[in-house]
Amino acid sequence: MTNPRTNRKIIISRSGETDIAIDVSHLTKQFLIPRERKRSIFEHVTGLLKGGSYRYELFSALNDVSFTVKKGEAFGVIGPNGSGKSTLLKVLAGVLYADTGTVEINGLVSPFLELGVGFTPDLTAKENVYLYGAIMGIPTKEIDQRYEDIFTFAELKRFENMKLRHFSSGMILRLAFSTAVQTDPEVMLVDEGLAVGDASFNKKSWEKIDELQKKGTTILLVSHDLGVISRLCSKCLLLQKGKVVMTGNTAEVIEMYKKIIERGEAVENMKRKKMNIITLTEK
Amino acid sequence: MQGYDLVSGGFFVWILEYRELIHILTISNLRIKYQSSVLGFAWSLLNPLLLMLVLYFVYSHLFVTQTKNFAIFLLIGIITFRVWSNGTSSALSSIVEQSSLVTKIYIPRQIIVFSVALSGLISSLLEFVVLFAFTLCFGIIPTASIVLFPIILALYFLVVYGMGLPLAALYVYYRDLNQIWGVIVQLAFFLCPVMYSLTIIPAQYLPYYMLNPITIVMVSFRDIFLYGTFPDLSSILILCVLTLCILIIGALIFYRLERRFAEEL
Repeated sequence: MTNPRTNRKIIISRSGETDIAIDVSHLTKQFLIPRERKRSIFEHVTGLLKGGSYRYELFSALNDVSFTVKKGEAFGVIGPNGSGKSTLLKVLAGVLYADTGTVEINGLVSPFLELGVGFTPDLTAKENVYLYGAIMGIPTKEIDQRYEDIFTFAELKRFENMKLRHFSSGMILRLAFSTAVQTDPEVMLVDEGLAVGDASFNKKSWEKIDELQKKGTTILLVSHDLGVISRLCSKCLLLQKGKVVMTGNTAEVIEMYKKIIERGEAVENMKRKKMNIITLTEK
Repeated sequence: MQGYDLVSGGFFVWILEYRELIHILTISNLRIKYQSSVLGFAWSLLNPLLLMLVLYFVYSHLFVTQTKNFAIFLLIGIITFRVWSNGTSSALSSIVEQSSLVTKIYIPRQIIVFSVALSGLISSLLEFVVLFAFTLCFGIIPTASIVLFPIILALYFLVVYGMGLPLAALYVYYRDLNQIWGVIVQLAFFLCPVMYSLTIIPAQYLPYYMLNPITIVMVSFRDIFLYGTFPDLSSILILCVLTLCILIIGALIFYRLERRFAEEL
């Protein structure tokens, strides 16, 4: 079933007819960035009276990106800031619409762009678990069954009837993570910053992710943390300025990434030196 | 593209597919609404009653009114109007207020508007219960016409939802829309027969005046609760047509604007 509005095709097939989990082809996404940001009708009307015209700048966040991820693979996406990593993840999650190109995902997708989406401070932990579960697409019956597991894993059983407003941020993250992993996803989209809670819980959550991966979950991980990437991912994709620089084995791609960063720094240093010279000569 | 949704019947499939999420979101909305203030639920009932008392005093003492059972007449008008005014106002801000459901995860976005409109409908049902108790106190015995009440209320709900969709979508782009909408709601209060009866409308304008869905619903509810008669069938048919138009236009605008929600929020 292709959704004509999203260019995002999701095939839910539990039988493994194909061994490809994510197939992205020629994905392009551009943002229109207005020179002057108008956020109200008032500003639009006054803008017209002034005779200002609407000017936009095109920013190409993703440029002809293609790659495939095999089932059960842990796939890393790395790249410098502003390279389009997060945009890619959002397009895969269906939050942003691509301009051209297609995304094909085989299986149940569970986006972990942020933990605890929809958490409401005025509801109790219990109510929030059901709410968050429903948002993540877990049927209520399943949450009933796994309810104990969720709270045991989060180590928050004592606080189940407490309002979330009185929770510390660490507790909220733990609760969110424990609920989110109950989705039994076939494809997991993970944004960086999944470092959850204190050191021991952090370790526990990475173990859980390892466990999921061993069960055959496909994981797409976007991160700056090369340590995590090289530990978890077998394949990697390097993005720079919205373009694919290379895809391949993690070690090689990380090598390339380091080179790019060094080169970038070298260019930066050159610029800085030139600037210094100019400022010196001006003086 | 949007025609695809309309023709294939995919227009409402999401309600079935996401019924659990809609259920939980609606319940959560109601919980938050009634937990956050001490009087909570009582306020939502006191509000229309107090407004009724004010208007009743003004109209029965300052101006002379011939309307029988004027208090009930007013209360029906006020409660009916509030369904629309509260419903559209809360639907308007729904997407912006729950922006993380748009930017961090994909769920069909109309669900956010739908669940807010639905929780508004449930609150108003309780107001109608109070209204019903009042009519009994005034010795008005309901007749068989009351079977039409749920049908008309359902149509009215779709009107509120159909108007809420484009409002919620436009509010994402134009953040002063709530100010403008507040004024429109004020204006609508006087354009609808909340405090006056249809007899003061000049006969030549009446057909146009009756094209307002809120007016049709209000007049029908008065027929049902106050006079115990069946509402005019032709105006119910007009209401059906209007509901359908509002819903389709609203949904088309929403689907058009929805594409860039995540970029604007």
